[in-house]
Amino acid sequence: MSIHVRLSTTLRECVPGYVPEEGLDIDLAPGEEAVTAGELASRLGIPAAEIKIVMINGRQGDLRNAVTEGDRIAYFPAVGGG
Amino acid sequence: MDSFPASAALRDLLASCLKFSGAPSVVDMDGTRRLAHGLGLTEGQAMRVLLARGIWPERFLRSRESVSEETLLRLLSSRVLIAGCGGLGGHLAALLARSGIGCLVLCDPDIFEESNLNRQRFCTEKTLGHPKVEACRDGLREMASYLEVQALPWELDEDNLPGLLKGTDAVADCLDSLDKKKMLERAARNAGVPYLHGAVARHEGFAFLDREGSMMSRLYAAPETTGGNMNTTGLTVAATACVMAALLVRSLGREADNRDRLFHIDVSLPELESFSLS
Repeated sequence: MSIHVRLSTTLRECVPGYVPEEGLDIDLAPGEEAVTAGELASRLGIPAAEIKIVMINGRQGDLRNAVTEGDRIAYFPAVGGG
Repeated sequence: MDSFPASAALRDLLASCLKFSGAPSVVDMDGTRRLAHGLGLTEGQAMRVLLARGIWPERFLRSRESVSEETLLRLLSSRVLIAGCGGLGGHLAALLARSGIGCLVLCDPDIFEESNLNRQRFCTEKTLGHPKVEACRDGLREMASYLEVQALPWELDEDNLPGLLKGTDAVADCLDSLDKKKMLERAARNAGVPYLHGAVARHEGFAFLDREGSMMSRLYAAPETTGGNMNTTGLTVAATACVMAALLVRSLGREADNRDRLFHIDVSLPELESFSLS
């Protein structure tokens, strides 16, 4: 199993070839049991400063939270238009 | 209204106004207005009195299997402040008007510009250059003549919000910056008024309704978070406004409280999902 990642709006541009309908499925490194949401974002090339909202398995989290295989994580920038 | 006729007498009075006297009995616009005029009521008051007696205004007849009389009565008695009458605000106002909200207070200092044409409900080629609140008001009156509408071309701030929020059943945040949204949520919290949040960016939108006035600060925990104003489309604002309207109608109708839930709309997929902020 992988970590399923979804990216919102401008964060999609940080990952070339990102397909919104599919998201990303990221495997942990061999021997790695978990990774923080912040470290995962860094590996994907998403600047932490751009991430304002983190949702892990349907609940609000933050970049310090650990994620592991089978988890679902969504990263959002600030959304403030009207 | 002690002098209002009892049901049987009412039906006699309405004999010429009833479009259908079965189950339910139905009165059309003309009948409602004649009744209102005859009894010295506003059209909205007349509709509420009819509905309380199981007589449906024809304009809401097609809602009948989805909305109860009690819910519609509560909506007709509700007053909502809509902060911002651009993308989200215009669509939300139209949806609420068709849903039976009794009173809308519209606040926006801006005029319509050409770049608003892709998404703003009451921006037409004819209303370019017109104050948004006036165009919204005029458009809403064509949909729902009974609706009480106040059009205030004001910039909302911490000085004028307390007075505006008095007597309001909910405030809808359709503003276009996080700083303004945070200010509005604070004012709603201080006034004890439920806060309906809407925000859009590109293909995506957020919506939630919060009675505690704390979800924005939980969502954007870092106090310095600002900005978030990106371009967006007509589909995005309409879809997000629809979810906002659904949350508000459910809450005002006391049907449900989607507590601590953030709704995320992505019209590019399309997808609607919710997250827990508890």
